[in-house]
Amino acid sequence: MTTPFSPPLYMQRYQFVIDYVKTYRPKKVIDFGCAECCLLKKLKFHRNGIQLLVGVDINSVVLLKRMHTLAPLISDYLQPSDGPLTIELYQGSVTEREPCTRGFDLVTCVELIEHLELVEVASFSEVVFGYMSPGAVIVSTPNAEFNPLLPGLRGFRNYDHKFEWTRAEFESWAHKVCRDYGYSVHFTGVGEAVGHWREVGFCTQIAVFQRNFHDSMSNAERLEPSVYRLMYKVVYPSLSDNNIYQRTLVNEVLYEAQHLRQEWLSRMDSSNNAHFCAPPLMHLFQHGAEGGTPDWQPVYQQGGTICVPLACVWSSPRVRVLCGSVQRLREELLEDERVRMSADGTVLNLPAADAEEAEEKEEVEEEEDVKAVSVVANSVEEDWDRELGCYGNI
Amino acid sequence: MTGRARARSRGRGRGQEPAAPGAQPSVQQEAAKPVMPTPPEVQLVGRGRQKPAPGAMSEEAMLQISAGFQQVKIGERGGRRRDFHDSGVHTRQLMEHVKESKTGVSGTAIELRANFMRLLSRPLWALYQYHVDYKPPMESRRLRSALLFQHEETLGKAHTFDGAILFLPNKLHNTVCFQILKVLIISVALSEALERGLDLVVSDNLLYLQETVLCSETRNGEKVEITVTLTNELPPSSPVCLQFYNILFRRILRILNMQQIGRHYYNPDDPFNIPQHRLTIWPGFVTTILQYESSIMLCTDVSHKVLRSETVLDFMYSLRQQCGDQRFPEACTKELVGLIILTKYNNKTYRIDDIAWDHTPNNTFKKGDTEISFKNYFKTQYGLDITDGNQVLLVSHVKRLGPSGRPPPGPAMLVPEFCYLTGLTDKMRADFNIMKDLASHTRLSPEQRESRINRLISNINRNADVQNELTTWGLSFENRLLSMNGRVLPSERIIQGGRAYEYSPWTADWTKEMRGLPLISCMSLDNWLMFYTRRNADVAQSLLQTLNKVSGPMGIHMQRAIMIEYEDRQESLLRALQQNVARETQMVVVILPTNRKDKYDCVKKYLCVDCPTPSQCVVSRTISKPQALMTVATKIALQMNCKMGGELWSVEIPLRQLMIVGIDCYHDTATGKRSIGALVASLNQGMSRWFSKCVLQNRGQEIIDALKGSLQAALKAYLKYNNSLPSRIIVYRDGVGDGMLRSVVDYEVPQIMQSIKTMGQDYEPKLSVVVVKKRISSRFFARIDGKIANPPPGTVIDTEVTRPEWYDFFIVSQAVRFGCVAPTHYNVVFDSSGLKPDHMQRLTYKLCHMYYNWQGIVRVPAPCQYAHKLAFLVGQSIHKEPNMNLDDFLYYL
Repeated sequence: MTTPFSPPLYMQRYQFVIDYVKTYRPKKVIDFGCAECCLLKKLKFHRNGIQLLVGVDINSVVLLKRMHTLAPLISDYLQPSDGPLTIELYQGSVTEREPCTRGFDLVTCVELIEHLELVEVASFSEVVFGYMSPGAVIVSTPNAEFNPLLPGLRGFRNYDHKFEWTRAEFESWAHKVCRDYGYSVHFTGVGEAVGHWREVGFCTQIAVFQRNFHDSMSNAERLEPSVYRLMYKVVYPSLSDNNIYQRTLVNEVLYEAQHLRQEWLSRMDSSNNAHFCAPPLMHLFQHGAEGGTPDWQPVYQQGGTICVPLACVWSSPRVRVLCGSVQRLREELLEDERVRMSADGTVLNLPAADAEEAEEKEEVEEEEDVKAVSVVANSVEEDWDRELGCYGNI
Repeated sequence: MTGRARARSRGRGRGQEPAAPGAQPSVQQEAAKPVMPTPPEVQLVGRGRQKPAPGAMSEEAMLQISAGFQQVKIGERGGRRRDFHDSGVHTRQLMEHVKESKTGVSGTAIELRANFMRLLSRPLWALYQYHVDYKPPMESRRLRSALLFQHEETLGKAHTFDGAILFLPNKLHNTVCFQILKVLIISVALSEALERGLDLVVSDNLLYLQETVLCSETRNGEKVEITVTLTNELPPSSPVCLQFYNILFRRILRILNMQQIGRHYYNPDDPFNIPQHRLTIWPGFVTTILQYESSIMLCTDVSHKVLRSETVLDFMYSLRQQCGDQRFPEACTKELVGLIILTKYNNKTYRIDDIAWDHTPNNTFKKGDTEISFKNYFKTQYGLDITDGNQVLLVSHVKRLGPSGRPPPGPAMLVPEFCYLTGLTDKMRADFNIMKDLASHTRLSPEQRESRINRLISNINRNADVQNELTTWGLSFENRLLSMNGRVLPSERIIQGGRAYEYSPWTADWTKEMRGLPLISCMSLDNWLMFYTRRNADVAQSLLQTLNKVSGPMGIHMQRAIMIEYEDRQESLLRALQQNVARETQMVVVILPTNRKDKYDCVKKYLCVDCPTPSQCVVSRTISKPQALMTVATKIALQMNCKMGGELWSVEIPLRQLMIVGIDCYHDTATGKRSIGALVASLNQGMSRWFSKCVLQNRGQEIIDALKGSLQAALKAYLKYNNSLPSRIIVYRDGVGDGMLRSVVDYEVPQIMQSIKTMGQDYEPKLSVVVVKKRISSRFFARIDGKIANPPPGTVIDTEVTRPEWYDFFIVSQAVRFGCVAPTHYNVVFDSSGLKPDHMQRLTYKLCHMYYNWQGIVRVPAPCQYAHKLAFLVGQSIHKEPNMNLDDFLYYL
């Protein structure tokens, strides 16, 4: 079936959800009938603060086939995101009550209900709106009134469709849901016909439901699935993981500190060449370790160490973004064994000299000791040519 | 010059082909393209059942399998894929003398463990290959797959399907049967069956066809009849099965949450960092499952991936800061081109081939029918914002074919902000501190390495999902490393003049032993020059004195050098050389103030090409420490002697009229992408004099074409020295990449023979060609004093982990103080010498003693090491063919 839409209709449906997420910023999202996980994959990129992304499908094979496309990318490890993200995939039916699906902010059912038998639609409504009662629900389904415009279409748009509703039918179902479970709804859609055909409505009709009451479930603890079967779960690396945060911060700090050290060393080097060498202690006394304006502290040398004041490191924007205050930075660094700091936590200590190349370390010359050297005499000499019996014919 | 001398000429990013990049970063397009079904002939190839024959397969079966293999490939996604394991190159069967046995006998046995694990399958295990047909025909691979797996209850959980060929671990049982009522029907059924390449069984008046008919329905309600026909029953060792195991193992690594980068898998959860350079190193594994000598095994070695949490844009910013706007474009091209980058929005890697200075993210490209800017594309597709709208774009020429063999989709444009750098730059490689930090993490002791591999094994055995995956296919891995036996060859006696001595077998080094002994032959230094800068006047003087002191006991007569001071600038150094180096100058020593490459290159260029004179460069720092000066001067004196044609030591070579040839090449990735081939050939019995030739390869030319002339020149030189041509020639060919073995066997060997032929119609020397491979993932561990340690130098392995179709062996020749020793793999691809395997192994080991730049045993036979050194010098510094007057000297040491 070729659709005359550009971008293709399915893309427009996904885009609709993405736009919704961008505006309302739900934290927990569940996608029913996620099939090949295309929407989930898109949402993973257009995260907008989503922390928990769940996909449910009745077909476990398709989940198993596609689940690895939801794994974190290499770059997700290289540059962990600020907020946490967990993705879970379940095999299960939307007509079953699963405790762990409660307390979500958004449920999406993109082109799902028309695959249910009409009798199942009632239990679908009960489970999704009554039992799960998420903050919002997006339901999309074909608009039967649009079908005559689709070239070459006879019957339903898909063999598995059990029904295709007109706008009136869809709306009456939606309004009933709102009455029964305390939601309000507005209707929209994607895929418009042109010209006077406009009046048939969107090709895909969409209902967006908002819950009218406050829900106490949203902060409830996550439960283990009892009805659904967990197929896949992945926790994305993020700065909300303390280990990752610590590692990222320390890396950033050491990067900055090493650069400051290098800069200082090369400056010293050039002034050394000009036969000028400021006594290192002078710097220390001139600017004082106890502060004044925190940004105005130079790097200095003390014996075999280069001292980089914390304030210098703090001036790096990357460090600032990671760490709200100097105070916090100090605390984090004092905990880490990779960072050597002064006792009061104001200065980072780095070695002044790079390690020498090890290969120079030759053993000390020994006295000429003449080794007892045997003279070639009684060792058995081999002759492979003869052994091979081909010596004669060369 | 130790720093540079040790630098390795690794091709950057080798073996890491960009993974399937599309022309434009449009994933959608790529995925949606239909894949042509495999041509119908496939089902007929390799028909007939190959009974699982343990051990040796009949030649016929082997041919049949390989014929089938060329056409049937699992998981082929429309692209060309190189066969990295060189399977299907059967050289051993052509060598009569090793058909029975290719093992040696010398030496003492040693118990070893190898990084191999046996793959176990239940008895009579087979992989069943089915052909899948659709009526009406279906184009899309996805649809084909979806339709087929509506029948999972029939097909079972374990399956692999590429759109036309289905692999199952079980036989399907629903078979169509026709009752034989009339002869007519039988003949119709038979002819149909034969035409379609079906297996058929006649029994009890019934004719069974091994096919299953399934009915599926598309989303549009179209009924589709799917015929699944058994076409082949593959024994565990068939090439298709091997390919299948590898795919399966990749799945397993993915289940263990490993990330694929290039061809290997890495663990992202346990990184270590070198913050100073924003490096992140992921530990991982290189794995291959192949048919080894006696069983199918998994070979797995520890590997590390260097990633950088720095984008190309970050890099460009700091580069611009360093070198200013003016020099930025040039510096940027120099630093970036050739690097492999990783894109942020998918896991693909690309090689930077160019920089599009006139393109920014605001430029547009065609996606489908519409033009879209890069900026908008990334925003809508991945929710990524481009912060710098003025950044220039990177260009990567995608070599890989498009889907279904279409021509490559053209260059890919990449946004620097979304590209992470990977790997090390040459600058980093030269930085001792980075390399030290890296080595502290990546250089594993034998014990550490073994425990890492063991940890992988236990992860495989403990993980329920992995076990599940394996058992559905009826496979499992032995849960320990392979135990096997090797042999340690006796240590060689080093002959120097009339004396011989032995070295300590564990250190494999005779620096101490040779002290105070005269060399085999010495060139006296009567007319030589030493260049130095004013600052280094003192060290130059003390070097001269020390050289004089150490050269006496060696037997070198040394006159005082003419001392020439030069100003510390490249032009003045060159001028000083031009003015002072004369025809009769025997040797030029240049003391360089720093190890900057430009001056070194300048010296070598002038003295190797324009004014052929042996030369010796010394960085002032290496001779600045008085306590080390004796050692350094000794090495320099030895090196100078070699460069002028002197000989240092020898080992007993029990074959006469033998010429050993070493070939290696250097791939100059940075400039011009020209390859350089070097050939080094022995001229005397003691393997102490060598003829060397280096050629620059022309575009589209095979390296051997250029080296053919060199081999002839070498033979002529041999004739001149010995008054006869060699009756045996053994060629050690290094620098053969993964998957290039076939071209060596099919093309290079005949070329070598042809070039020998030109010496005379009736000249027929015995020829052996040995492919030498240093970069392999096989590792061996010995147990010494209760501890896991490296095998001692001289350990030969020629059973179990070798390949049945090759005449091959491993030798651990060098000794390493830190880390794991890497064995060298030798594959004798052609051999008319009749030498016993034992001789071949021992000769090879002997030749590892003959590299004059190292008073110890090296990793490869000396001619290979010489050829490597020569190619490296030409590729790195000279970029031209050296002057032929130098051919008889080891001037490149």
